[in-house]
Amino acid sequence: MSVLLTDSVLKAGKICLLVMPLKLTKSQDERNAEAFTSTFLKKSLPSMGPEAIQQALLHKAVVLEYQHKRTGTGTRKRARARGLAARQRRELSLFQLKPEHQKYELFVPLHELWKQYIRDLCNGLKPESNPQMIQTKLLKADFHGAIISVVRSKCPSYVGATGILVQELKHVFKIITKEDKLKVIPKRNSVFSVEVDGFVSHIYGTKFQLRSSERSAKKFKAKGTIDL
Amino acid sequence: MHPELQQSPRNILVFEKSNFMNEKSRHDLHVLKHYFNYKVSVFIPECGILPSELNDAISRFTKYYLVKDLPVHELLEEECLEKTVKKGRFYALSYNRRIDQDDVVAILPTGQMILSVNKDTYEQLGLEGKESQYTHKQPMRYVVTVDLTDKSMLPGSKRYNRVLWALKEKVPVKMDFLLARHSTEANEGGMLPSCLSQYHCRELQASISTQKLSSLPYPVLCSCDIRGEGYCEPHQFLEWLGAVTMEIDCNNDATSFMSTYSCPEQHNTLSQALLCSITGLLLPEDIQSLLEKLRSYFEQPKLTSWLSLVVHGFADSPVSWGMEEHGFHKGGENFYGFVVFGNQDYWLHMGTGANDGCPP
Repeated sequence: MSVLLTDSVLKAGKICLLVMPLKLTKSQDERNAEAFTSTFLKKSLPSMGPEAIQQALLHKAVVLEYQHKRTGTGTRKRARARGLAARQRRELSLFQLKPEHQKYELFVPLHELWKQYIRDLCNGLKPESNPQMIQTKLLKADFHGAIISVVRSKCPSYVGATGILVQELKHVFKIITKEDKLKVIPKRNSVFSVEVDGFVSHIYGTKFQLRSSERSAKKFKAKGTIDL
Repeated sequence: MHPELQQSPRNILVFEKSNFMNEKSRHDLHVLKHYFNYKVSVFIPECGILPSELNDAISRFTKYYLVKDLPVHELLEEECLEKTVKKGRFYALSYNRRIDQDDVVAILPTGQMILSVNKDTYEQLGLEGKESQYTHKQPMRYVVTVDLTDKSMLPGSKRYNRVLWALKEKVPVKMDFLLARHSTEANEGGMLPSCLSQYHCRELQASISTQKLSSLPYPVLCSCDIRGEGYCEPHQFLEWLGAVTMEIDCNNDATSFMSTYSCPEQHNTLSQALLCSITGLLLPEDIQSLLEKLRSYFEQPKLTSWLSLVVHGFADSPVSWGMEEHGFHKGGENFYGFVVFGNQDYWLHMGTGANDGCPP
């Protein structure tokens, strides 16, 4: 027995199954069967020219996606949305204090604002408040405007620097001292102290090297040593 | 044998031979530069009682003061500075503080203040200093040197204010001090300035103890040839001298297994000998005058041909000779010993321990 299947016939939706008897003797029956088969096939084939039929029989792969040119347009759109590059930002010097702005008195109101913000954050700062709770709140707080002083440092000349925090970057603190000097203090290998209403907290700078915006989402783990 | 006992820590011994009358002799320098001396022991063979002029010299040693709980910044206050450091030859050393564990402060007669501090104290203090030479991979000890006679340390200047702020407000350092000042004027010597009188002070005199030893084997020393017959190897000689001072028997009896110390070769037996020990904060100038008196001992004919003077430094002093840093490895020894001969020759041994620079 043999099973005959043609692709074009399948596409047409008709399945043609021809079963030929086993015992074949080139007899009248055989010749009749052959003639019947060929006329039946010619009838069932769709009305197409022979070239068309040949083409339909070929396997064709169709490409569904087309990666090439799309990437160029995609990144250009994303870059525009990000804003200025770092080099352009530095040229514009948006974050640099001009000398006429470097006065300690100008930042004292900022410090008052910060104190108010911390008081609100910790619901009052009463003497009986739990230090642990205040600590966790302070970890996520913003420190711009706090009075910061360096308590311990691997480099002794940083010790004792005190002032209002003007800018907190990823690795440094920029503070302005009472003598109207803008000091840049790296966070690494230093311990800072922040005081609010009698609560003094020590910040270990090595573990604090994050941008203030990212710090609010970060979970702090007790890893490594706090030795400088 | 226990492995720790087999290997003793390294030590340095410098041996010099010269004559006192020689112009190039540096015995004065060696004595004057060793600032903080704790004990002087004099060994005179064939002598029964301490000669009177030696007794006089010792009794004229400068008195020193023990001040308890003195904050270091008091020593830096203006009037205190005027009366102590600026007048010169002022010695100060912290008492009861270990050099390898605590903070040690010393003021040298050259007007320099040396603070040998721990890592924690150094990080909090805020004064720049150098790492100690004898530390491990991570520096645990720092040495801060402040020159009090420098013009940048005039009262009122930025540096002076910073040092004062660091020692007064940042890390108030308080410790017991031994103070002394050598002066040539009659009444002035040893008077404490009034600013320190509010703290608990005690005036102290060097304590003397004399001992008479008898029938002791002692080596025959000849100053003439350093490698000839009279030569006695420095280590052996020092070992014997130390054993005598500590009253250890050097007979090397077969029955006693306690000590195997023995007298160096070529020895005689003494009929009597005198051992005199003086302890306290002893100033180099006083030791120098004592040495002069010992040299004049041989002006009259004596039975012995040599005598010895050994000076020990404080185990916890931050400096040994001059500005050389001193550390306490397993024994903070830094000492020197003179062997004075009748013809004004001398042998000088200078020894230090492991954490020390080479003596000059």
